[in-house]
Amino acid sequence: MARESEILDEIKAEYVKDLLKQNKRVDDRGLMDYRAFSIEKGVFPNAEGSAMAHLGDTKVAAGIKFDIVKPYADRPTEGVFTVQAEYLPLAHPTFESGPPRENAIELARLVDRGIRSAECVDTASFFVEEEKVLGMFLDVYVLDHNGNLADCAALAGMSALANAKFPKIEDGAIVRQEFKGPLPLARHVVSATFEKINGVPILDAVSEEDTASDGRITLAISSDGFLCAAQKAKSAGFTSDELLSLFDVAKEKTKPLLDAVQK
Amino acid sequence: MEKEKKKLIVDGKRVNGRGFDDLRPLKVTAGVLKRADGSAMIEWGRNKVLAAVYGPREVFPKHLSDVKKAIINCRYSMAPFSGMEEHGRSGPNRRAIEIGKVAKHVFENAVLTHQFPKTQIDISMEVLQSDGGTRVAAITAASVALADAGIPMRDLVQGVSIGRVEGQLIVDLDKYEDNLGEADVPLIVSLRSKEVLLFQQDGRISREELQKMFELGFKGAELVRDVQVQALRQRYFETGDELNNHG
Amino acid sequence: MKDFIVPGEVVYDQPRRFDGSFVDREKTFASVLSVKYDDRVVALKGLYTPVVSDYVIGIIKHELFSGYKVDLNSPYIGMLSSRDLRERFEVGQVISVVIRMADEVKEAELVEPRRLWGGRVIEIPAVKIPRVIGRNNSMVSLLEQYTGCRIFVGKNGRVYVKGDNTSLAIESVMKIAREAHMHGLTDRIKSFLEDETKAGHLASEIGSPFQASPSPETK
Repeated sequence: MARESEILDEIKAEYVKDLLKQNKRVDDRGLMDYRAFSIEKGVFPNAEGSAMAHLGDTKVAAGIKFDIVKPYADRPTEGVFTVQAEYLPLAHPTFESGPPRENAIELARLVDRGIRSAECVDTASFFVEEEKVLGMFLDVYVLDHNGNLADCAALAGMSALANAKFPKIEDGAIVRQEFKGPLPLARHVVSATFEKINGVPILDAVSEEDTASDGRITLAISSDGFLCAAQKAKSAGFTSDELLSLFDVAKEKTKPLLDAVQK
Repeated sequence: MEKEKKKLIVDGKRVNGRGFDDLRPLKVTAGVLKRADGSAMIEWGRNKVLAAVYGPREVFPKHLSDVKKAIINCRYSMAPFSGMEEHGRSGPNRRAIEIGKVAKHVFENAVLTHQFPKTQIDISMEVLQSDGGTRVAAITAASVALADAGIPMRDLVQGVSIGRVEGQLIVDLDKYEDNLGEADVPLIVSLRSKEVLLFQQDGRISREELQKMFELGFKGAELVRDVQVQALRQRYFETGDELNNHG
Repeated sequence: MKDFIVPGEVVYDQPRRFDGSFVDREKTFASVLSVKYDDRVVALKGLYTPVVSDYVIGIIKHELFSGYKVDLNSPYIGMLSSRDLRERFEVGQVISVVIRMADEVKEAELVEPRRLWGGRVIEIPAVKIPRVIGRNNSMVSLLEQYTGCRIFVGKNGRVYVKGDNTSLAIESVMKIAREAHMHGLTDRIKSFLEDETKAGHLASEIGSPFQASPSPETK
């Protein structure tokens, strides 16, 4: 039964294209509007930072754990930061359990690149002692997939980071549930993903719009207005003018998200 | 002995303030996910578990299908950030795979599988935050998710874990009590048939204690069931716009 | 009086057999979420399984050498044999079809396929369909009268709507689905339709209706 939702999405995709000819969307949004979003921070207090992000009906949870790890040989005093994403089988009828596939890997790397490039976290402060640094693990958990995972995952990941607390360390070990204070963040970063349907770009696609689209661009925007990660996907191309104007739109439209993350 | 050093029971009360057969605060919300055919979130003490159901649907791969009944697949998994301790592995570990298996047996009993031959029903239970008793919480949530999906069942199953600390039987152990206690018995029951559907145990238990544990388990299950019913009622019965003024 | 019933609750002290229930030790229990009125049990949830001579709305899922696999919004797939077919279908097309045979493993054999051109299809739980149809088709007639739409109701929970005011028709169907277990439904739908058509504007659409198929001209 549920596997048929794919077919339904394809039929709905036709409807999406028809509506778009009149500049309309299935849910009456403007072409460059996000769906309603919300963030719940600190929802999983066992984690050192956590958040749940809702973007329309798409839901992503994120959690941060710190561990003591060995530094990379070439950066002996720097901490380690890793992002993993999981497409849970409960999020979509076609998701299966098993090792992460390319979509989950792409999603994790996209979130990772945004946070890393924006230099949100100072990993130099993660040094503990010789051969010991803090490892920060951000796990992004896709719970309900109804389009635009990239932006919802970035929002959840960034919110978990904004909620994170710097662990207390004694004798080279983490004292769980005791903290030095909030994890200092230099800035914040979220993303804006556009789908191109019959040449028309739209922001924050729902599933049937995703199915209808043949080009996608994700732009990660930092709170100081820089582009920090980009990923172009699917077959359709974008002109440089298109990309530049989408950058402008992204800067404008991510403002409320960045505000909410910092609250 | 170390167990004597950290007292779990002081002045006839558990150190967490609960009486011996008090449950932690329990809340269930049905229909929390849009995509899934049925879903539920359970918040039980500090536990948070999300359960979802897909199906019945065509069996994949096909040779696994059963012409007499639906097959049930259960996944139980803990998020890498769900525990108080270090970062966990993603995906089910050996413990989680075992729990998935015993959960599957629960639902093979509860679901009227013969009504849907040659199909599969996929049940996912994701522990997002853990604090003892997650398997019981997960199955209790999955039971609500199945009802939410409209899958016919013999009963809405549920349970609670019973344990013994410092010689005293207690209901609904948290992680601390589980770690330091002497025995832990997660139970899932059908109140309708009065059968035990999940029963795992460790620790040394006498016959008398076991009997008392079952009594406490069925008593606890009644409280849990009320919360499940309330969750489903809220989703399907009290949400009609003017419902309370009609009928 | 009405009660909310969950799976495993006794609904009758005698054995009775109907959808959404089972009999154990001479008593009848609900197997799905239901509402019990004085002496009537109405399922709130339930899945469609093919029943002989049901009219349903299917979507072509696969083309096979011998015919088509048709999605029926059910755990089970329908088979449409190409033997007696005069027209060919494509994957994704929406058809109305009749169930000619359903065997013990629920494989459904379909006949009398008719393409549903244009229009829109929505899905509601199959257990709500009798309320959308109404006694002697009364609800469908009411909807058609007020919306100027042609409405075809598939027993499998799909409703096809084509005509003037498809948005109002769809919204009304969703309202019926939401309030199917409540008393005085016909009156309430009637006054809803009166209000909406009088006001001359529509509330926004609910759910995500999809187009049954692109119209033949655009193909």
